[in-house]
Amino acid sequence: MSGIDPKIKRGSGELAILALLDQEPSHGYEISKRIAKLSGGTLQFNLASLYPLLYRMEKRGWVKGQWEEAPNGRQRRYYHLTSKGRKQLAPLRAEWNLFFQALHRIAGVSHAG
Amino acid sequence: MPDNLEIIKRRLGRLGLGVQREREIARELADHIDDHAAELQANEVRPEDAVDEPLDGVSDWTALRSEIIAAETEEESMNQRTRVFWLPAFCTFLLSALLLAGLQIAGYQPRIYWVAEGLFIPFYLPWLLTLPVIGAIGAFWSQRAGGTTWHRVLVSFAPWTIWMVMLLLIGAISLPFVLFFNRQVPNISGVIFVMKGLLALVVTWWLLPGFSLLVGATPFLVRRQHAQA
Repeated sequence: MSGIDPKIKRGSGELAILALLDQEPSHGYEISKRIAKLSGGTLQFNLASLYPLLYRMEKRGWVKGQWEEAPNGRQRRYYHLTSKGRKQLAPLRAEWNLFFQALHRIAGVSHAG
Repeated sequence: MPDNLEIIKRRLGRLGLGVQREREIARELADHIDDHAAELQANEVRPEDAVDEPLDGVSDWTALRSEIIAAETEEESMNQRTRVFWLPAFCTFLLSALLLAGLQIAGYQPRIYWVAEGLFIPFYLPWLLTLPVIGAIGAFWSQRAGGTTWHRVLVSFAPWTIWMVMLLLIGAISLPFVLFFNRQVPNISGVIFVMKGLLALVVTWWLLPGFSLLVGATPFLVRRQHAQA
C-alpha cells in the first residue's frame, strides 16, 4: 500500500525502527526489508524515505550507526538502539495506541493492539 | 554493474556536511542500492532493470538531498539557539556580574535611594553607566551569530531575569526558616514588608540592569530593522 500520508509514515516509521532495533541492530536495507515483511507490505520504506528518517533519529541520539562487518563479509552501517532511543519506545507505543483508540472511537478504525 | 557510489555522489552533489560524513552517506546509500539490485537479480529480474529500478525508486533527488541536509542539521539548529541567545546572554551576565563584583571589592559605596524598615535600593551608578557597553557587546554577538531582534532584546533582559528568579527562589525557600527561627507569625505588616522587599529586588536586580543593557543593545536593534526593511 503506497497511499499512506508521508507524515503518518514518518511518525509510524520512527516507532517501527525503534521497535526493530530493540530486537537487534540492523543496517538500512535490512530495516526496510523487515518493516515491509512484518507490516505485510503496508509500510514500505525506500531509500528516499528511510535514510533521512534514520539520520534524524541518529541526530536525536535515539539510534547510533557504526560500520561493522556483515555476514557476507562486507562493511555495512549497522544501527543500534541507544538508551535514549529505548526510553522513547514506550511513550511512542502509548501515543500510537491512544491514536488508534481515538480513531476507533471516531471512525470505527480497529487495530490489533 | 554500474558504480552506484559515483552515481549517488553525482546525484546528491555537495551536502555541506563535511567530506567524511558526505562520503559515509553516499556509501551507505550505494550499499542500499547494491543490495536492492542484487535481490532483484536473485528474483530473476533482468540485470539492466535490476540496476535501474532501485535508482528510479527515488523520484526526486533534490528533495532527498534537502531531506538529508535537514535531518543532519536538526541538532545544529538547536546549537544555533545557543549561538544567538545562550552564549551572548551568558557573556552579558558574566561581564556585568564581574564588573559589579569588582566595584564591590574596590570598596565602592552605592547610593542608597530608598530605605524602609531595613530595605533599600543600592544604586551602583558606575556599574549602571557601564552596562550599556556590555549590552552592546551581547547584542552585537547575537546579531553576528544571526539572532533576531527578539534574541537581542532577550540577551539584555534574560541574564538578570534568571538572576532575579534565583534570588526570589532563595527568598521563598528561606522565608519560612527565617520566620521559624525568629519565632514570628505571618501577618499583614509582614506581608507588606515582603512585598516592599520584592519591589526593591525587582528594581535593583532586574529593571535597572536590564534597561541599562538594553540601552546599549538599542543601536543594534535599530540597525537590524533598517537592514531588514
